[in-house]
Amino acid sequence: MSESRDDKRVLSGKHLDSGNVAIAEGAIAAGLHGYFGYPITPSSTVMEHIASRLPKVGGRFFQAEDELASIIATIGCSWTRKKAMTATSGPGFSLMQEGIGLAAFTETPIVLANIMRGGPSTGLPTFPGQQELMQAHFGSHGDYLIPTFAPSSVQECFDLTVEAFNASEALRTPVFVLSDQVLSTLKERYIIPEKLEIVDRAKPNAEPIVWKGETISPEFVPPMNCFGEEKKAFATGLSHDPSGHVDLSADTYEKLLRRQREKILRYNHLLPEPESYQVEDADVVVVAYGSTARSAKHAINLLRKEGIQAGLFRLRTIWPFPDEALREKTKGKEVLVTEMSQGQLIWPVERFLRREVHHLPYYRGEIPPPSRIIEKVKEIGGKGK
Amino acid sequence: MMIDFSKIGHNLEDSLTSKMLPHIWCSGCSLGTNLQSIIRGILRTGLDLDREVVFVSGIGCTGRASGYVEADGFHTTHGRAIPFATGVKLGNPDLEVIVFSGDGDLFAIGGNHFIHACRRNIDMTIICNNNSTYGLTGGQASPTSFEKTRTPTTVGENDPPFNLVDLALGAGADFVARYTSAHYKILPRVISEAIKTEGVAFIDLVSGCPAIYGKRNGYPTGEYMVKNLLEASKEIVPDENGTYLLPENTRIHFDSSVGYIRIPVGIFRRQER
Repeated sequence: MSESRDDKRVLSGKHLDSGNVAIAEGAIAAGLHGYFGYPITPSSTVMEHIASRLPKVGGRFFQAEDELASIIATIGCSWTRKKAMTATSGPGFSLMQEGIGLAAFTETPIVLANIMRGGPSTGLPTFPGQQELMQAHFGSHGDYLIPTFAPSSVQECFDLTVEAFNASEALRTPVFVLSDQVLSTLKERYIIPEKLEIVDRAKPNAEPIVWKGETISPEFVPPMNCFGEEKKAFATGLSHDPSGHVDLSADTYEKLLRRQREKILRYNHLLPEPESYQVEDADVVVVAYGSTARSAKHAINLLRKEGIQAGLFRLRTIWPFPDEALREKTKGKEVLVTEMSQGQLIWPVERFLRREVHHLPYYRGEIPPPSRIIEKVKEIGGKGK
Repeated sequence: MMIDFSKIGHNLEDSLTSKMLPHIWCSGCSLGTNLQSIIRGILRTGLDLDREVVFVSGIGCTGRASGYVEADGFHTTHGRAIPFATGVKLGNPDLEVIVFSGDGDLFAIGGNHFIHACRRNIDMTIICNNNSTYGLTGGQASPTSFEKTRTPTTVGENDPPFNLVDLALGAGADFVARYTSAHYKILPRVISEAIKTEGVAFIDLVSGCPAIYGKRNGYPTGEYMVKNLLEASKEIVPDENGTYLLPENTRIHFDSSVGYIRIPVGIFRRQER
């Protein structure tokens, strides 16, 4: 914590801290200007850390009256060409769905970190859950596709938050970081590198921007004309033409919705790739994300000691779903999905593999213990040598 | 007869987004006059409409106004104009933010944001097009609909309306005024003073919706409405002990057979320098 009192944006070096602090540091390192939030467990420490750090590096911290205001103010800040974010947990994520749809439809770059706890409703405020995977995709009404990243370590809380800001700026889109209660309090070592690639959104009548060595096409990602700049910058939550003004015609609406989806899918390959751990020779591949994947990895290590060939396919980008990689890595293998939910991750997995898979749903306010995963893999028929 | 709107000039056409005109508002509606008063008020401050002003609105008839003004703007979701404006102000404090929205948007679904904006006193001007109804959805009862008025959602009587001046005074706005859409000669001066106020400036702009609310409640036409608004308006007379600020003295009286009976108007609070 002593280092975090520093007035530098990027605190390069080794740190020992929680996932929530790493998310906060990732945001500040990525160029965050405005943070807007409302206290809610287990996300509040993101907000507290940002409150202590952001004003010292020239940014603005704002505690809103509710989550409805937090996300809308985040969008408002972004329209002044400043990087903006909010963080929340389950109930707050539900309240923010209205603003999420608005950010998606007006193509506003913002980052939203959702630190998942057990639900529904007030649920388990201080225990983890993974029940907002579908909400991240379908939570707000209407069609949209928001890149969603899921860290599994404190290091990834930092890295994927930086990635989230870059993706949001490059693709002019809201981006979610889906963390969970375990990662929020878990302290481990993480490293802030000396150099980070930081992306700023394209300006009208300027050179297209380059992200990860790739030029982002203004045809798919229109440069953002922001407030206080040369010509009228305008946006509406209604269907709109390229100038941002209301246009409810069928062609305009269809074209707009199509381009907004395509811009994400076109640059899908630039989003964080899944991790494949010991899948090559595996008989059973466990599919997991977040803190659950940590337990799965431990289970796989123990199974391997017994000579059972199990592997892990860990999602780092949840949406758009890495379907091709999943198909490739699990071809001819048994698949076991484990998650802290009655069944959300299993939907896209079965949908994209087009076959039934094994499932270990675990919803007890804790990560599935390795013993349960081991048991399940053996039951499926993970063979010993 | 087809009207070629591209050939019709307007005295404020440089300040309007011509491709969005004609507007969607009904004949007799206060919104056209109010938008004109606001633009005149902004121009009076000497601000550059294009570079220095952000015009934020919510949902409803008034919500469409942001699309018609040649200033930066945002048409937010229902009730969220104030939090959006707050975000803009934190992103770039040099921008002058004007929130223009209706009574349903600002005081029903967005009511919480209003009181907190007043509490925080972040610099913005909030103008409520207060026509006591949800016009765009068909004239349902709003938080400022009068008790004995008829709307499609009135069962017996409406609940008592908010007195917006009293609410803004109580919540702590730095500048609180009320005028009607018929005061278009005074309004630009009042609006420019509101914009120059450093904290929250609130104007309860009493307006009419003759096409939907008025025709059911005593003011069936725009012409009648303008006359009614002017006749019912009573300029407040500030006194030393502040009785003009008491809720009973700032309240609007309305009768659904004739329209407005008494509208206390004036500037109720000014920022002290």
